[in-house]
Amino acid sequence: MKSSRQIIEEARKEIPEVNAEEVRAAKDKREDFVLLDVRDDDERRGGYIPDSVHVTRGMLELEIEDFVSDRDKKIIIYCGSGVRSLLAAKSLKEMGYTDTVSMAGGYRDWSAAGYPTAKDKPMTPDQIERYSRHFMLPEIGESGQVQLLDSKVLLVGAGGLGSPAGLYLAAAGVGTLGVIDSDVVELNNLQRQVLHRTETIGQPKVESAAETMNALNPDVEIIPYQMRLDESNIINIFNEYDLIVDGCDNFATRYLVNDAAVLTRKTIVHGSIFQFEGQATVLKPFDGPCYRCMYPTPPPPGMVPG
Amino acid sequence: MLPGTIGLVMATEAIKLLLGVGRPLVGRLLMYDAMRMEFRELKVNRDQHCPICGENPTITELISDYVAYCEIGHAEELATAAD
Repeated sequence: MKSSRQIIEEARKEIPEVNAEEVRAAKDKREDFVLLDVRDDDERRGGYIPDSVHVTRGMLELEIEDFVSDRDKKIIIYCGSGVRSLLAAKSLKEMGYTDTVSMAGGYRDWSAAGYPTAKDKPMTPDQIERYSRHFMLPEIGESGQVQLLDSKVLLVGAGGLGSPAGLYLAAAGVGTLGVIDSDVVELNNLQRQVLHRTETIGQPKVESAAETMNALNPDVEIIPYQMRLDESNIINIFNEYDLIVDGCDNFATRYLVNDAAVLTRKTIVHGSIFQFEGQATVLKPFDGPCYRCMYPTPPPPGMVPG
Repeated sequence: MLPGTIGLVMATEAIKLLLGVGRPLVGRLLMYDAMRMEFRELKVNRDQHCPICGENPTITELISDYVAYCEIGHAEELATAAD
C-alpha cells in the first residue's frame, strides 16, 4: 500500500519538471510542444494559459489520443499547483508518450508571475446544462461552444434547405444567425420547410423562422432581413458574417452569392436540391473551387435550379 | 424529406468550419440520390481560367444586374470561354 505522498514522490523521480518561467520562455521561442491543461472544467473557466489544450485529469487516458496522436511529441502538462500534472505525466508515460514534462507550481505560479492568461466568456448555468453534451465531444468542448456562441452565420433563404440547417445551427448554439428571405409562409411550404408552422402562414418567413429558432434556443440572436439579397446590399451584409449558408432557390441569387463571397473572401456552405436528388459542397475562395469554377456561366433561361 | 438530409449536411459542415475541425467538403461535391438511397462524391477542382477566382479574373466587382445576367443566354460567352 502506498500513501499519496509516496505516489507523488515516485512520480517526481520519474518526471522532469519545469517552472512557469521556463514554459513562458519556451512559448516565446515558439518551441514545438503541446501545453496540456488537466484541471477540472470549473478551474479552467476561471482562466487558463493561452493556446493550451484542455483534457481533464479524469478523462486524460481516454481522450489524449484525440489531441496528441504522436507519442514522441513533447507535452508540458499543468494543473493548479503542479501535483496532478505530475501524476498525469506519469500516466501518459505509461501509455507510451516519451516526452512528458510537468509544470511545477501550476497555473497558480503562472498567474502569480503575471504571465498572460485567457478566459472564455462565462456561460450561464443554463448554457452549461444546455450544451453539456457538446462538452463531452473533444472536438467541441467548452471552448468550442464559446466559439460557436461567438460565431455569426448568414442563412440565405429560410426555405427547404435553410429550415433544417437553421434549426440545427440554432440548437447547437451558433450565437448569431442572420436570415434573409423576402417571402411569406404559404401552406404548400409546410411539407418540407420545418422552420414554419401552420399558424405562421401569411407571416414573413424571416419572422416565422426567428420565432421557431428562438423558441428552440433563446441564446441565439436572430437578425432577420426581409428582403431579397441584391447587388446593392449583399457586400455590406456578408461583411457582418463569418460564414454563408446558401440554400437559395434561383440562379441569379446563386451567382450573386458566389461572386460576393469570392470578393469578400467568405466561405459558402452550398446546397441544392431537385426533386429526389441533392448536392452539397463547401466553396472556400482561393482554397477550393468557387461555384463558377464548376459552372462558369448560368444555364440557358428557363432551367429549373438544380 | 430530401431537403432535410441536404440541409443537415450543410449545418454539419458549417459547425466544422466554425470550429476548424474535421475535413470539410472543400473540393468535393457530395451527391445524394434519395430514390436509390446513394451518396456519391465528385472531386471538383479550381479552374485557373475561372472568371472570378482564376489567374486573370474578368469579374472584379459585382455584375450590375444578376437577374438580367441569368435571364439572357450565355451561349456566346461559353463559346468564347471554350476557345
